[in-house]
Amino acid sequence: MTLVEPGVAGQDVDQHPVGTPAGIRWSWAKGVAAYLGMVFVLVTVNFVLPRAMPGDPIDGLLARGSAGFSLGEQSRAALEDYYGLDGSLASQYRHYLARLAHGDLGRSIVTNAPVRKEIGRRLPWTIVLMGSAIALSTVIGVVGGVHSGWRRDRPLDRVLLTGLLAVREFPTFLLGSLLLFVFAVKLHWLPSAGAQTPFSGSFNLAQKAVDTSRHLLLPVLVLTVGLTVGNYLIMRAGMVNELGSDYLLLGRAKGLAERRLKYRYAARNALLPVVSVTALQLGFALTGDVLIERVFTYPGLGGLLYDSIGARDYPTIQAAFLVVSVGMVTMNALADLLYRRLDPRTAQ
Amino acid sequence: MTAVAPPVPARATDRARRARGPWPPVLVVGLVLLAALAAVALLAPLLAAHDPHAISGRALERPSSRHWLGTDVPGRDILAQLLYGARASLVVAVLAGSMAMTGAVFVGVVPALLGGAADTVSSRLVVFLLALPGLPLLVLIGALAGNRRAAVILVIAFLGVAPNARILRSQALSLRARGFVAAAQGFGGGPLYILRRHLVPGLGPLIVVGFVNWAGLAIGLEAGLAFVGLGDPSGVSWGLMLNRALAQSNIYFSAMWTWWVLPAGLAVAVTVLGFTLVGVGLEPSLNPRWLRST
Repeated sequence: MTLVEPGVAGQDVDQHPVGTPAGIRWSWAKGVAAYLGMVFVLVTVNFVLPRAMPGDPIDGLLARGSAGFSLGEQSRAALEDYYGLDGSLASQYRHYLARLAHGDLGRSIVTNAPVRKEIGRRLPWTIVLMGSAIALSTVIGVVGGVHSGWRRDRPLDRVLLTGLLAVREFPTFLLGSLLLFVFAVKLHWLPSAGAQTPFSGSFNLAQKAVDTSRHLLLPVLVLTVGLTVGNYLIMRAGMVNELGSDYLLLGRAKGLAERRLKYRYAARNALLPVVSVTALQLGFALTGDVLIERVFTYPGLGGLLYDSIGARDYPTIQAAFLVVSVGMVTMNALADLLYRRLDPRTAQ
Repeated sequence: MTAVAPPVPARATDRARRARGPWPPVLVVGLVLLAALAAVALLAPLLAAHDPHAISGRALERPSSRHWLGTDVPGRDILAQLLYGARASLVVAVLAGSMAMTGAVFVGVVPALLGGAADTVSSRLVVFLLALPGLPLLVLIGALAGNRRAAVILVIAFLGVAPNARILRSQALSLRARGFVAAAQGFGGGPLYILRRHLVPGLGPLIVVGFVNWAGLAIGLEAGLAFVGLGDPSGVSWGLMLNRALAQSNIYFSAMWTWWVLPAGLAVAVTVLGFTLVGVGLEPSLNPRWLRST
């Protein structure tokens, strides 16, 4: 394969040629406009979705076993008034947008605490958990894929490929449950729940770091297993595709070291699809993983989303989905930018 | 190993298969696992000593000769639930797998063959669907549709449409551009003839592998959803057993873990493994996507 696709060089120059300052500014403006438009659509969808579900937050409150049975129509109306659920959908939407513009995410109907606080408490844990898992799985997947693809059909490749294909569909919550039982319950090596030891206020910084890592270890491990397979398969396929390339033959003829050919030449060319998969994973990162969070009682956003949907807690659903979707759109935008740097051909 | 060209007409595939010799051991093991599972599902009424729905003992009995795996909270036999649970899992696997692949054919293959506006719309749709986060979507749709088994199966199938449509679409496009299709058209072969002689043999293997893979994934997903409480609470399934068992506080610290959580978890794991092994065994011969050489 030649590095420059035939035809690219001879193509007509675009109306707004990339490369000139005007062209760049234009594409930036277009990108930012598209980004803002997307966020607005998401904000609206986040408003409509919870209200499309059967039942409402007041039902949710009453079902939680409070003195709900004695509540008549009047008290219900009072509750709706209190939580701002009484007006028409249009007026509720206006209020929602106005509050959002002031950075006010509202109060949870279940806990009556500001939603922003709850999200602020959970967001860092989700970022730490998913971030480490994605980083780890990308590194492992890429390194494994490079080795496997470079020495295709050798024993190591066979073992890696079959092994990773076999765990591809293994349910992560089962793996997590099993590891939890062995390492936390039977062996007492690791803590069994949460993100930190309760009442650890007296810990110094180093103790806190160790404590947090010990809580993080098992969930990150389980998530990494799940995420690695995709990266590995794509990296391996990419490497295999590069194997017979002319530029590698030329490099060999020039007497370049095998290491150099493998990492600086072939791996670089095969890396692009992995970047897009990792970007997609980062986009989904903020949604957390309900199952893993349930198994390890980890205080992430996935559990918050799940609980708030169950309780029809509109403000919390709206806010959590807002954070998640803005994160996703941002990651996709960043991935686009990164792509243009990595492969200038995609900018055209 | 010489590369196997992906789409070859039926007769050449047969010849290649005979030349390739015996089935890979992974495939055999996988098929045996699945056959055993199907037998358990079919014979559950004969194998189980109790009705899985009926209360047949005290709550939380230890394993005994009467209840080999003890009982759960209202006193239902755990072994009976385990045996009948195979039915639920297989139904989910087969239905979700086949519906996902049917959807994938309609979204991926048909527009690719028709071309034009249908193709543009469907490929945009696939890109959009691929960008949806799966797990939150499952939770959300589960909440919208209520805890019904049909809804859970539909959602799992829905999630399988986009990734499989993408694979089938690219294969259909490359088939359409192949010389032998053009040649057949040149000799006056109608669309139905092309479909029967060239497209079905070319796409069929991919559809089979996709079905097996998605069926395996569906079992894990269904169990996971039931585990977090999204499933039909009146049914008998492995995920539901896990959900109920783990709802007992401190189940991890009691001996119940070994006869309640572990068997249900292993059942899910072995079933998923069965489907995966069949998929892995079929993939190199049917779908050389990951193994293709230059």
